[in-house]
Amino acid sequence: MPGHGVVQHVVTFGRILREAGVEVGPGRVADALTALDAVDLTRREDVYWTLRMTLASRREDLEAFDRAFAAWFQYAPVSPPLRVRFPDERRGARARGDTARGGDAAAPGEEPTEVGWSAHELLRRKDFASMTPEEFARARALMTEIAAARPRRRSRRLRTHPRGTVLDLRRLARASLATAGDPVDRRFRRRIDTSRKLVVICDVSGSMEKYTRALLLFLHAVVGAGRGVEAFAFGTRLTRLTPELGLRDPEQALDACAASVVDWAAGTRIGASLKTFNDVWGRRAITRGAVVVIVSDGWERQDPELVGREMARLARAAYAVVWVNPLKGSPRYQPLAGGMRAALPHVDRFLSGHNVASLEELAEVLVGIGRRHTA
Amino acid sequence: MTFASIEELEEALLGARYLPDRGLATALFLALRLEKPLLLEGEAGVGKTEAAKSLAAVLGARLIRLQCYEGLDVGHAVYEWNYSRQLLHIRAAQEGTLSEEELFGPEFLIRRPLLEAIQSDEPVVLLIDEIDRADDEFEAFLLEVLSDFQITIPEIGTVSARRRPAVILTSNRTRELHDALKRRCLFHWIGHPSLEREVEIVRMRVPGVPDRLAAQAAAFVRGLRRLDLAKPPGVAETIDWTQALAALGRPELDPEVVEWTLGSVLKYHEDFELVRDSALAELVEEARAVRLERAAGPAHASA
Repeated sequence: MPGHGVVQHVVTFGRILREAGVEVGPGRVADALTALDAVDLTRREDVYWTLRMTLASRREDLEAFDRAFAAWFQYAPVSPPLRVRFPDERRGARARGDTARGGDAAAPGEEPTEVGWSAHELLRRKDFASMTPEEFARARALMTEIAAARPRRRSRRLRTHPRGTVLDLRRLARASLATAGDPVDRRFRRRIDTSRKLVVICDVSGSMEKYTRALLLFLHAVVGAGRGVEAFAFGTRLTRLTPELGLRDPEQALDACAASVVDWAAGTRIGASLKTFNDVWGRRAITRGAVVVIVSDGWERQDPELVGREMARLARAAYAVVWVNPLKGSPRYQPLAGGMRAALPHVDRFLSGHNVASLEELAEVLVGIGRRHTA
Repeated sequence: MTFASIEELEEALLGARYLPDRGLATALFLALRLEKPLLLEGEAGVGKTEAAKSLAAVLGARLIRLQCYEGLDVGHAVYEWNYSRQLLHIRAAQEGTLSEEELFGPEFLIRRPLLEAIQSDEPVVLLIDEIDRADDEFEAFLLEVLSDFQITIPEIGTVSARRRPAVILTSNRTRELHDALKRRCLFHWIGHPSLEREVEIVRMRVPGVPDRLAAQAAAFVRGLRRLDLAKPPGVAETIDWTQALAALGRPELDPEVVEWTLGSVLKYHEDFELVRDSALAELVEEARAVRLERAAGPAHASA
């Protein structure tokens, strides 16, 4: 173990790192100390690498690590990570039951008026944009129930199964001991289904504002319902939200989302965002074999052609592509927005997503979806 | 074989025609010294797998490689019973004389990479390649193996490592690995090398290549990485390409030969078209203008 001074230094450095947002457990600090023992402490470069590979464990942490390291060695001030607060009025208005949003009741979406519908049914059909806070709270409970639906894929693992097709040889060999090698008792196994990867890319630009909160809550429930889900948000640029939505408490999760999405409720650049997704995440094969769900109204301000191109790229790698557009909930809706029109040829299923019932439909589609047919 | 210092390991790797930067050398050195698995992440083609191979070479160790894929299971990663032999054995034995212990004994065991690595008497480098492709369940299992270096086979009992293998895991980050697994490992991110280092690597891997061609090829590929490509080329591509160029006997780059051979650098048709139609002439020009200070001996570390 290195001398006391070094221990002191590394422990302090660990604290600086934590302040900079890097998760550093006590075990890692101990590793760092053991490792420093093996290198030449007078070589700053070796100290840098040694600390980096013991204290940081994600590429995303490396930048924060470098800043902290510079601060520690050169006494440069640590600049705190940029934070953007959740637009207060939206959350406050919902939480406090402010009725100022009553004007939105006439927003897209039909108000079912048939007599005899239960309150439950009414709630399922009500447009998110026109819900009161109480209704919204109840809708949330419904969403959690349907969020567990997940597309399936065939695993390569085998399980004992009465209608299995692969002979369980291990069991057979053991059973044959009693019958002098005659394979009398034959058990079979078969491949079982497991969840397929699911990628959800959600538009949080200004034009989607009325639906964003509801859809993100739904997304939170989806992420919470099991592994294998990746969530992204975009307005003018793409942000990965999987870690934020992984927080257990929905309000905290939404706060965290708001903090990391810098362009909340601003403009839309669908094409550019999809491009980033394909370049950064598609390249790491997150798309391959996944069902990709895009939630957006398709309002591309810049370049519909780019939307088409990037959708084609996305669709080539994905198992299937689903587009959810809350505007589609309106009976008069037609996909005229340039981005939407460019995207549609590459979409397998085009759904609305403006109320609980439509999310149920989404869940059903996700469970039953097959590979996209090659054009 | 043990190494007393990072420099010594660097020297040895250089002898094995592998040129790590100081960071990677430190990572490999510490992985050996602390007997901890090393997790290597980085873009495709930056030499993650190659690092493990070279480490095995300089240690005089056997490289055991486990290529991960979705659905990888114990039967393919750890061990499997040789059922046909077992059944034949039962047939051949006198009725009632064969015990279960005998039937599930070591001679009927097929050793897959993980068991092989743990049971080996000679030094071993265990390469667990593209761990992010295996599914969660397997990762959890691996975690157990990597913490105790032992494997339990129900019929035989627990097999412990006689000597700990050096373990290298690679990941292309198609998904985030479990924190618990990461906690067991040292972590190193391999970026693209500096121009000087890449030239060194190319000269080392393509013997007899004219210096000017090596420098220009490396500079050209570096230029490609600045472009907005679906799949930016890695060092592996630079090496392949330079080999192709050298085989054509050209002393330096020209637009014509670049267009002929670009297919060994750019693996996507869209990328190929983009470069051919817009950037090719400029990049060739730029690459031809590159002047390198000839680095003598092993290239120097860069942070």
